[in-house]
Amino acid sequence: MTMLEITDITKDYGASRALHPVSLSVAKGEFVTILGPSGCGKSSLLRIVMGISQQSGGEIRLAGQRIDMLPPERRDIAMVFQSYALFPHMTVEQNLRFGLRMKKVVKAEQQRRIAHALDICTLAGLTGRMPRQLSGGQQQRVALARAIVMQPNLLLFDEPLSNLDAKLRDTLRHELVALHRRIGATSLYVTHDQAEAMAMSDRIVVMNAGRVVEIGTPLELYRAPKQAFTAGFLGQTNLLAITASGRTGQLPWGQPVDLATETSGPAQVSVRPESIGIRACDQASGAPATVAGVSFMGASALYTVAVGDTVLKVSQAGGDALIEPGRTVALTFPERLPVLEDRGREDREIEDQGRKDRLRTPEVA
Amino acid sequence: MPARLRDRRLLLPLLLAPGVGYLLLFFGGPLASALIGSLRAEDGSFTLAWYAHIVTRPSMLRGLGTSIYYGVAPVVVSLLVSVPLSLAIRRHFVGRKLFSGLYKLPLAVPGIIVGLMIIVLFERGGFIDRAVAPLGFALPKLVRDDWGVGVILASVWKQIPFMTLIITSAFAAIPEDIRFAGRTLGASRLATFFLVEVPLAMPGITAAVLLTFIGSMGSYAIPDIVGPPTARPLSVLMVNEFNQGRFPQVFAMGMVLSAFAVAVLVAYYALTSRIGDAHGRGDAT
Amino acid sequence: MTALAETTPSQATRRRTFTREDRLPVAVGLYVFLFLAIALPLGLMSLWSIADGWPPPHVLPQSYTTERWAGVLGDSGLLRAAINSIVIAIVVTVATALIALPTAWAMARFPFRLKRAVEIFILAPIIIPGIVVAVGIGQVFLALGLAYSVAGVILVQIVGTLPLMIRLMTAALETIPDDLLHAARSLGAGTADIIRHIVLPLAVPGLLAGGLMSFVGSFEEFDKSFIVGAPVVETLPIKLYMYLDPYSMQLPLASIVSFLLLLPALVVFVIAGRVLRDDLMAAGMGKI
Repeated sequence: MTMLEITDITKDYGASRALHPVSLSVAKGEFVTILGPSGCGKSSLLRIVMGISQQSGGEIRLAGQRIDMLPPERRDIAMVFQSYALFPHMTVEQNLRFGLRMKKVVKAEQQRRIAHALDICTLAGLTGRMPRQLSGGQQQRVALARAIVMQPNLLLFDEPLSNLDAKLRDTLRHELVALHRRIGATSLYVTHDQAEAMAMSDRIVVMNAGRVVEIGTPLELYRAPKQAFTAGFLGQTNLLAITASGRTGQLPWGQPVDLATETSGPAQVSVRPESIGIRACDQASGAPATVAGVSFMGASALYTVAVGDTVLKVSQAGGDALIEPGRTVALTFPERLPVLEDRGREDREIEDQGRKDRLRTPEVA
Repeated sequence: MPARLRDRRLLLPLLLAPGVGYLLLFFGGPLASALIGSLRAEDGSFTLAWYAHIVTRPSMLRGLGTSIYYGVAPVVVSLLVSVPLSLAIRRHFVGRKLFSGLYKLPLAVPGIIVGLMIIVLFERGGFIDRAVAPLGFALPKLVRDDWGVGVILASVWKQIPFMTLIITSAFAAIPEDIRFAGRTLGASRLATFFLVEVPLAMPGITAAVLLTFIGSMGSYAIPDIVGPPTARPLSVLMVNEFNQGRFPQVFAMGMVLSAFAVAVLVAYYALTSRIGDAHGRGDAT
Repeated sequence: MTALAETTPSQATRRRTFTREDRLPVAVGLYVFLFLAIALPLGLMSLWSIADGWPPPHVLPQSYTTERWAGVLGDSGLLRAAINSIVIAIVVTVATALIALPTAWAMARFPFRLKRAVEIFILAPIIIPGIVVAVGIGQVFLALGLAYSVAGVILVQIVGTLPLMIRLMTAALETIPDDLLHAARSLGAGTADIIRHIVLPLAVPGLLAGGLMSFVGSFEEFDKSFIVGAPVVETLPIKLYMYLDPYSMQLPLASIVSFLLLLPALVVFVIAGRVLRDDLMAAGMGKI
C-alpha cells in the first residue's frame, strides 16, 4: 500500500527552477532515502513535504489524502531535524510530551507512548535532563523519540546524523535501522552520504540538479546503474566509452567486453574498480596496461592503471603482494557489464554539474 | 610557562584598572560619600532622620510612589508596542532595512526634546487638539495632567526603540528549526509562538523591561517638563532640594531611589537563579 | 558543511516567497506608524521654529519668518553652548574609548574569579539613576573645585558613557576566536602587531557602536551636566531646558534649540547607524 505519493512537485524561485517535476512514492513501512549532492533539491523537497515551504506545482498525498495545502501541524508527519531542534527550555520528557499535548492525546496514552519511546530509544533515566545537558548522540535520540511518540503516518529525517562524529554516526545508523524494523514507520530520509543511504534504505532515490535521476534498491543501483551519475555517486566507478554491436562492446583500446543488454553504436559502461581483475604479467596481450600508482587501503589495494589514453581505477582485495608502479599488467573485465542509458545533452550537463559537486563532497571517496 | 602565568596575573589588574578604577573613583566614591552624607546630622553625628523624613512626609512618600508609577506604566505600554513591532520587523517587507535603521532614531533624541514634542503635539491647543477641533472633539488634558499621561507618552516614545532592538534580537536568536519543530509536532503558529518562542526570548524581554523600568524611574527631565506639578517623582524632588542646598536630604532620597532600583534587580537575579536551580534538580532524576 | 551551504540560500528565498502576500500591508503599516511617531513631531517642531506666530485654532501657521533663526544663530551664548556640547562630546567619546578598551579586553578574554562581580559593578552606573550619581559627584566636585567647570562635566559624563562602551566592546571582542590570535602568533606577530593588525580591526564594530552611543549620549546628556555644570557651563540641553521653563515657555525658540541639538546627533546616528550591527548592540545593551 502506498503511504506517500509525490506527484510532479516543482519549486521555482523567481525565474530559476529548484525542482523539476519530481515524483516518487513510499510504501507503508518502507524506508526510502533521497540521496544527492549539495544543492540537488533534496532539502527543498523535504521542506515541501513537511509543509514549511510551498511547492510551485504538483501534489502530495499521504495515506490517500491530499496534504499539500495543509499547514505543517495538520499533516501527521513528524520530522527529525539535522540540528535536532530540541526545545531548549523543556526537559527531555516535556519535549516528548509537547506534540502529544498539542494533539490532545489523553494523559494515560501520553504516558504509555512516552515510556515506550524512551525505552526503544534507550533514553531511560534522562527524562529530567535539559537538552543542553545531553551529548550529541543523546540529543539525536531525543529528537527521534519526540518524532516517534507522535506515531505519525510518515517520519522525515533531514540528514540527522551529519552533526555527529564518524564513530557515533556508525552506531546510530545501526540503531536507526534496527528501530525502523521494530516500529515499521514509513520513513523518508535525506542525506548526501552514499554509505548511509546504502546501509539503511529499502530504496534510494538519487537526485541531482533538481531532478530524480534514478530510483532503485541499493543493490540494483550499485550493481546495474542506468545513469552515469548514479554509478559515480554510489561508490567509485570507471565510466568507459564503448562501441557496441549486440551483446559485445569494444573498449577504447580495442579489448572486447560482454554487455548486459543488446546495444549498438557508441555507448557508455560503468565498471566498478573491484570487478576488474588485475595480475602482473610480462607480456600483455593487446594494449599494454601499466600500473601508474598504487595506494594500500588495508583490506584492499587501489591501483591506477594506464591503458593507452585511458586511466582506470582497479581495486584488488587482499593485496598481500602489491604490484609495483611501472609493471605491465593484464586486466580482465566482468561479464554482463551494465550499459548506461544515453541521454540528451542537457542531462549530460547536469551530470557534469553533479561530478563537480561530488568533488566537493568528501564522503563519496 | 610559569613566567607567562605570572605575566597574566599582573596583566589582568593592569587591564582592568582604567575602566574599573575610573568607575570606583567617579562613581563608587561619590556614591559612598553620598551614603555617608545621608546618615549624618548637621553636627556630624549619626542619624536616620533624613530617611525618616522620606517615610513620614506625605510629599516624599508620594514622590516615591510617583517614581515607581513613572517606572512601571511606560514599560507596560512600551512592551505592548515593542513585541508586535519586533514580530513585524522579523518578516520580510519592502524597505525593511531602511525601517530597521529609522526606528532607532529616538535613541539619539534627548529626553528634553521628547518633552517638547509631547507639548507641541498633545498640549491643549497643540497640534492634535487643533486637528480634531473641526470634528467637534476636544483633547482632554494630557500634558502636566494628574495621571502623568504626558510623562508616559514621552517615556514610551524614548523606550520603544531600545526595547524593540533587544526583543527583536532575542527572537532572531531562536533557530528556525525550533519553530518548525513546534509546527510539525502539531502546534499552530500561535501555540508555537507562546509555548516555544516567547519562553526562549524571555531573558531578552526581561532584560529590556528591567533596564527601561530603571531608566525611566530615575529620569529627571521628562517628568519635570511634562509631568504634573501636583505629583513629582523623587528625582525631581531631589533636584529641588539640591538647589536649596539640603544635601543630606538629597542623598537620602538618592539612596532610596537607588535601593529601589537595586532591589528590583536583586529580585530578578534571585528569581532567575531559582529557576536555574529547578533545572539543576532535574539533573538528579 | 555541505549541507549548510545547501540550506542557507534556499531558506532565504523561501521565506521571501512565503510572505509575499503580506509584504505590502506590513510595510505600509510600519511606515505609517513611523511617520506618525517620528516624522510628524519633528515636522511640527520645524514648523514652530519658522512660524511667525501660530495661535489656535490654526492647524498650520499663517505666516513664516526666519528672523528667529537669525536671532538665535547670532546669539553668542547659544553658539558657545553648541561649541561646548560638541567639544565635550568629542572629548568624552575619545576618553571613554581609551579607558574602555583595555578593560573590555580583560572582560572578553580573561577568565577570572570575580568576573561576574566586576560585570555587575560595570553595569551599576546604568542601574543607579544618573541624578543620584550627579548629586553625589556634585558635592565631591564642589570640594575639589571641579564643579561648574567643563572638566567636571566631562568627568561626570564619562561615568554615564563608560559602562555601555565597555559592554559593547566586550561583546565585540568576545567574538574574536582564540585560534585567530594563536595563528597570528604562530605567524610571527608580537603582542603589538596582534593588537594593531588583528584586535583593533576586529574591534571596529564595537568601537563604532560604543563611540556612537557615547557621542550621542554625551551630546544629549542633561541630568548630570545640569547638576555639575549649570549655570556656569552651558551645553545645548541645558540651554534648551531653560527655554522650556513652564512659566515662560518659548516654543519657537525651544524648537530652534531642539533642532540645533538634534541635528548633529541625528547626522552621526544615520551615517553610523548604517554600519551598526543589531546583534552586537543587543548583546551589549540588553544584558543584565
